[in-house]
Amino acid sequence: MSQPRIVESTLEFPYSRTLGPVVGAFLSGLREHRILGIRTRAGKVLVPPLEYDPNTGDALDELVEVGPQGTVTSWTWVDEPTPKHPLDRPFAFALVTPDGAATAMVHAVDAGSIDRMSTGMRVQPRWRAEPHNMIDDLACWEPAS
Amino acid sequence: MAATDIAVVGYAQTPSTRRARESEVQLLVPIVTEALQRAGLDRREVGFTCAGSCDYLTGGPFAFVSNLEAAGAWPPISESHVEMDGAWAMYEAWVRLQHGDIDTALVFGSGKSSPSKPEEMWAQQLDPYYLAPLGVDPASLAGIQARALLDAGKATERDFANVVVRSRRNAKDNPNAQVAGDFSVDELLAEPYVRAPLRKHDLPPISDGAVAVVLARGDRARALCKRPAWIRGLDHRIEVHQPGMRDLTTSTSTALAARKAGYDGGPLDVIELSSTFSPQELILRDALGVDADANVNPSGGPLAANPVMATGLVRIVEVARRIVEGSASRGLAHATGGQVLQHNLVCLMEGD
Amino acid sequence: MSTSTPKENLVMEHLVSLTYSEELTPILERYVDALIDGRIVGHKCPSCGRVYVPGKGYCPICVVPTTDADEVEVGDHGTLTGFTIITPVAYYGQTETEPFVYASVLLDGSDSNLGGQEVVGVPHDKLRSGMRLRAVWKPKSERSAEGVSNRGWGSVSSVIDAFEPSGEPDKDRAEYEEHIF
Repeated sequence: MSQPRIVESTLEFPYSRTLGPVVGAFLSGLREHRILGIRTRAGKVLVPPLEYDPNTGDALDELVEVGPQGTVTSWTWVDEPTPKHPLDRPFAFALVTPDGAATAMVHAVDAGSIDRMSTGMRVQPRWRAEPHNMIDDLACWEPAS
Repeated sequence: MAATDIAVVGYAQTPSTRRARESEVQLLVPIVTEALQRAGLDRREVGFTCAGSCDYLTGGPFAFVSNLEAAGAWPPISESHVEMDGAWAMYEAWVRLQHGDIDTALVFGSGKSSPSKPEEMWAQQLDPYYLAPLGVDPASLAGIQARALLDAGKATERDFANVVVRSRRNAKDNPNAQVAGDFSVDELLAEPYVRAPLRKHDLPPISDGAVAVVLARGDRARALCKRPAWIRGLDHRIEVHQPGMRDLTTSTSTALAARKAGYDGGPLDVIELSSTFSPQELILRDALGVDADANVNPSGGPLAANPVMATGLVRIVEVARRIVEGSASRGLAHATGGQVLQHNLVCLMEGD
Repeated sequence: MSTSTPKENLVMEHLVSLTYSEELTPILERYVDALIDGRIVGHKCPSCGRVYVPGKGYCPICVVPTTDADEVEVGDHGTLTGFTIITPVAYYGQTETEPFVYASVLLDGSDSNLGGQEVVGVPHDKLRSGMRLRAVWKPKSERSAEGVSNRGWGSVSSVIDAFEPSGEPDKDRAEYEEHIF
């Protein structure tokens, strides 16, 4: 029998998502090179900000600026990025807790080499040159200078 | 108060393979038939059918409708579907049986991961604002979780490798496993990282496969099966989605689900965990409080075969089969959904 | 420092694009080979006798397996069992600009419709259920496996351009009403 035929298909979903008062404010903030969190009734600042407190269900609306620097609280090293990753060279995916926040956000750290990565390291944001209302308007984090 | 007289009375599964030539429905047809035959039940007698699968994984909108053909859905039957692991389809069927008006149910879970690029596709499971656009893949999140475990001093990379060695050794006795064999910890630790501190063997294989279960209630269960695997408790709990907003080194939801399912810490002859990445077995053992010498994943677990959307229901079958066959009296199965153990289900089963 | 919520009502544009790649199932391999050869084949259920085009490897009514041994050839003439005229609106991925026919065709000898077929050679207002059609085949050199996949309802678009009226008398509704889709 001959080689089986390989069939390829591509599914595309062009989403236009309205962002609302919290996610919209966060992404607006990134355009202005500011990182916003949101304060819970217990006084903790959640980053990235949610419309609600996931522990209590309280509606939240007190946006607070955090950062701009942050601390890596855990990380992994990606040697071979996929086409969907934010960087096309080896990088770290990390949990980064911006200064003043009680929680961490997942994002890329462009450290150049795994040897420059460590838990507890200080990082600073690198901003996307032309913002487009997406999370990667914060292009990635990089080791703090 | 949940009824406790519902049991697994029939089951069947396909071997897991890297790339099945058959369509997903073709994988399902023989095992649905086999599970019903094992229970001695005609498919027209089934009171309720529930399936678990993922259209994104298959790459076909409404692929789950085709899968229903494996149950023989004409004339129309009473059925439902969850876009979740088949273990949650079983949860729905278990709840449905408690209405008391029917006494049998058919459940199946199926998935072909081979057509997709799982590392790209699964990002769509995540928060569409903060995570999906970054293409965050399951292995990267598991790598972050593994690092947190190391940093907390709760495990070492050698512990991860030990889980893999035991899983692959156990899988030698499982004809449905995809990855099996004898390996040494030292040779595994010499392998390169793919998502440091995780190596390729800390990740599950990419698998195609399917599994089916027949449930029955009360006297019907006793009539259909000599030694039914009674479901003593079944519960699932979920945690916050954002990975940076919870402690990744523990599984609070697993511990709570186990307690709600009635697990009291007593002895278990068999434990099957959906520890998709090796460090997760350590987290789940800790959450359940099982002994170091407990019989965990005698099938090899998801590190030996990971037919996504069936993996959790396979865990239930691996425990139920040992009870039905008489080699175990009490066992616990665990299924997981979402990423890095966000959503967890625990099923406690016993023989008479 | 607290900040007030910006009034700007942001929208995020996100194109999710996922590519799938797989081998055709052995049944569909045979189906495509036959199509390129100018024949349309399906599987006949050994239990109820229903014919599915393409074969599925099982009968969805009886839930019994079917194999190459159950393969049968069906005709390239058929009956229009249902249709709609689609007036395309512009949306992502829509390439049609003019109203077009979207028809179900029950091939002679088959119990399953071919869905989404184009019908040519007849004004849209003359289309009717029950009318008889025949396949307009592409030249053999232009036939391919494109568009056939392991999912969905089967396809002939890579070998058959459209259907056209065959001139045969219409079928009575009673002859196809069990097959309307």
